[in-house]
Amino acid sequence: MGFLWYLTIRIGGALATIAAGSFLIFLIMHLAPGDPALAVLGESATTETIAAYRAEHGLDEPVLVQFVIWAKMVLQGDLGKSIALAGKFPISDLLVTRLPNTIFIGLYGLVIALVISLIAGTAAALRQGKLVDTVATGVAVLGISMPDFWFSYVLILFFALSLDWFPSYGFTPPGESLIGAFHSGFLPALAIAAPMAGVFARILRASLVETARREYVTAARSYGFAAPFVFIHYVFRNAIIPFVTVLGLQVRYLLGGVVIIERVFGIAGMGSLIVDGAFARDYPVVQACALTFLAIVLSVNLIVDIVCALLDPRRTR
Amino acid sequence: MTIHDSNGVGRRSFLKGAAAAGGMAVVTGPMLSRVALGQTRGGTLRAALLGFGVVNTLDPQKAGLNSDFFVLNTMFNSLVKFDGNMKIVPDLAESWTNPNPTTYEFKLRKGVKFHDGNEMTSDDVKFTIERVAAEATKSPNRAKFTVIDKIETPDKYAIRFVTKTPFVPLLSFFTNTTTGSQIISRKALEKMGDEAFGKAPVGTGAFKFKEWKPGEKVSFVAHKEYFEQGLPYLDAVDIPLIPEESSGITAILGGQIDIASTAPFADVPKLQQDPNITVSKMPGLNFRFIQLNIQKPPFDDVHFRRALSLATNREAIVAAALFGEGSPMWGATPPAIAWAYEKKPRELCVFNPERAKAELAKSKYKAGTEAQVITWGSSWWKRWTEIFVAQVNQVLGVKFTLDVMEPNAAFSRFRANDMQAQATGWIARVEADEYVPEIFRTDGSRNFNKYSNPEVDKLVDASRQEFDQAKRGELLKKAEDLVVEDMPMIFTMNNNAHNMWNKKVKGFVPLPSQSFGNQFPPVNLG
Repeated sequence: MGFLWYLTIRIGGALATIAAGSFLIFLIMHLAPGDPALAVLGESATTETIAAYRAEHGLDEPVLVQFVIWAKMVLQGDLGKSIALAGKFPISDLLVTRLPNTIFIGLYGLVIALVISLIAGTAAALRQGKLVDTVATGVAVLGISMPDFWFSYVLILFFALSLDWFPSYGFTPPGESLIGAFHSGFLPALAIAAPMAGVFARILRASLVETARREYVTAARSYGFAAPFVFIHYVFRNAIIPFVTVLGLQVRYLLGGVVIIERVFGIAGMGSLIVDGAFARDYPVVQACALTFLAIVLSVNLIVDIVCALLDPRRTR
Repeated sequence: MTIHDSNGVGRRSFLKGAAAAGGMAVVTGPMLSRVALGQTRGGTLRAALLGFGVVNTLDPQKAGLNSDFFVLNTMFNSLVKFDGNMKIVPDLAESWTNPNPTTYEFKLRKGVKFHDGNEMTSDDVKFTIERVAAEATKSPNRAKFTVIDKIETPDKYAIRFVTKTPFVPLLSFFTNTTTGSQIISRKALEKMGDEAFGKAPVGTGAFKFKEWKPGEKVSFVAHKEYFEQGLPYLDAVDIPLIPEESSGITAILGGQIDIASTAPFADVPKLQQDPNITVSKMPGLNFRFIQLNIQKPPFDDVHFRRALSLATNREAIVAAALFGEGSPMWGATPPAIAWAYEKKPRELCVFNPERAKAELAKSKYKAGTEAQVITWGSSWWKRWTEIFVAQVNQVLGVKFTLDVMEPNAAFSRFRANDMQAQATGWIARVEADEYVPEIFRTDGSRNFNKYSNPEVDKLVDASRQEFDQAKRGELLKKAEDLVVEDMPMIFTMNNNAHNMWNKKVKGFVPLPSQSFGNQFPPVNLG
């Protein structure tokens, strides 16, 4: 009962958040200065052509009316067409090509970050205060503090232009060639992974160190359990909970915060879609992206909470 | 030293591979097929559009963005086109005459095939131009053609435009640039409808449409029945959009693209040293200025405006913000339009702190006057505005500040004249009438700060009826003289237009008109 109730409340809350979030973004976009007509018609636009464009796309209606029209359409499963970014292309088509790229690169980066942080964080915790710890912690700080665009160009200069191991620009979508996607996506995934790996490693280290000092761990040791057994069953499982929570929070960064990396490496992803959409005042595109982001972030958070609840049953009580 | 001082107006100054490319600039139709003998056939050219992330439509009559035209030009021809010396030469038309000042008659090429296999005739031309001028089409370029009274088709290969009044600039608007006069297939449009046509249009160009991935790239394949014999050499062209200019550099250095529509100013010197890359440069068709709201204080005082102009060190701005890739301006007409360009610097636009202070003394506004200058971006655009503000503040003791906005919002404020001052500019405009007349005539289509001078209007009107280009140029320069005296804006600079390509690319001829898409027929991957 406890768990089902918990789930119901969380899903209800997520749906309410999506509705409120969509409305807020709609309002902000429409209240911001600027005009999609100018983004589309260019420098030659005349007052008449601007008025005609606005009428054609229903932009002369009051904002609330426009929101109701949009919400009705979305509830019927239609995200509409792009008005300023890629004239008249169905937005669902744009999402279908963009979302897999973003998810692929995001997961690729996440896996790299996990591998690095699990090794570095655990090694640092086990060798606390030793050279391994100092090096791992130092590299983690570097990973967090390097600007991503700068690090991206460093990677390109070294691995693409000097060594010629990877392409310097462009990304093969996983739908075209999975091997091509892993190859052309490695540098951007690494650029995304760097700051995440830094954060993860530090959190894991801190959490492992803290858990290792707990009384129940001391008790376990005093029973005479082998050190690896104590580490895996008593320390690691408990220490991993804050780590999973942080992991979930990073998903936001993977979706929207990687615009620069998408730009630098030429990946047609969601980040650049929402930014181009905002600059061009392509309201329906921004709305559709925001809706997708909200849905993904909330689902991931939900999954993270469920995982944590399963790891720590006290949470649902 | 600036480009036009050292090399002469309108002349190309290439950095590498210059002689070969330059020699081909004026070669047209039949001569090209002779040149063709030694060319490599086949391959795909990856021609990146640098600095743009958006292409909105491929329908020429609906297109408004420069990026739209750069891409769609790959698939289209117009009646006429610009050559490397900014001279208008035949394209789909073989020849043209003006039997009287209100009539243009064109003889069309015979046997030109659209991508759908139909022959291009005068009916398609009539349909196209009527379409861009029709209110229902909502073309941003509509105003360019409303001077046309009627269009007649004496036969399949002849077309006659009768204008309401004599209007000389019309010929330029028939070129394959950014005015929406690219000739489309009437049959294809009527079959497909507007929306489908805008996504997969049908023209007569050397390449036909293959695929459009919005925000990523547009792909084309060779049109086997293209009318220029033996062209194109390439099998296909891909145009990827690369919004980040630095990424364009890594892409070309890493061999991911072959040619780019521009090169970032700051990177030009470095690229010049790379043996694998050729960079071309020439004075571009653009004009950068500080727009002033002359209807409101403090810019409603001509002495104050002149003081600002005299306090602006344009050479310093070109050197620091453009890394020398441009030249100061003392009028609105860019140097690339040589026949209408005033070569002699106008004194009011030459840095002179003493005279600036003297003008300020005559003004009703004094040192300490505050104003806000709108700009946008983070790169050279913001930088040049910062330098302008620092200069006038230092020389005149005024207290100007910067308001950094987002481009779309800034542009809407500029259009509405809802601002004090704004760094802005006009780009990719090929016709002299799009500078002084459109910006400064009382009812000019881009006269956003409502400047008005009856003398300027008279000269502009006279220029629009003057078929002798040299005389027309003189009229425009006289009008510009008067405008500069009134100083409705701070004329600042012109920047160079660049292309860069790797050593595989042969036969690319840079053009000041920078129409990009229609520059690919003679290109081959040697």
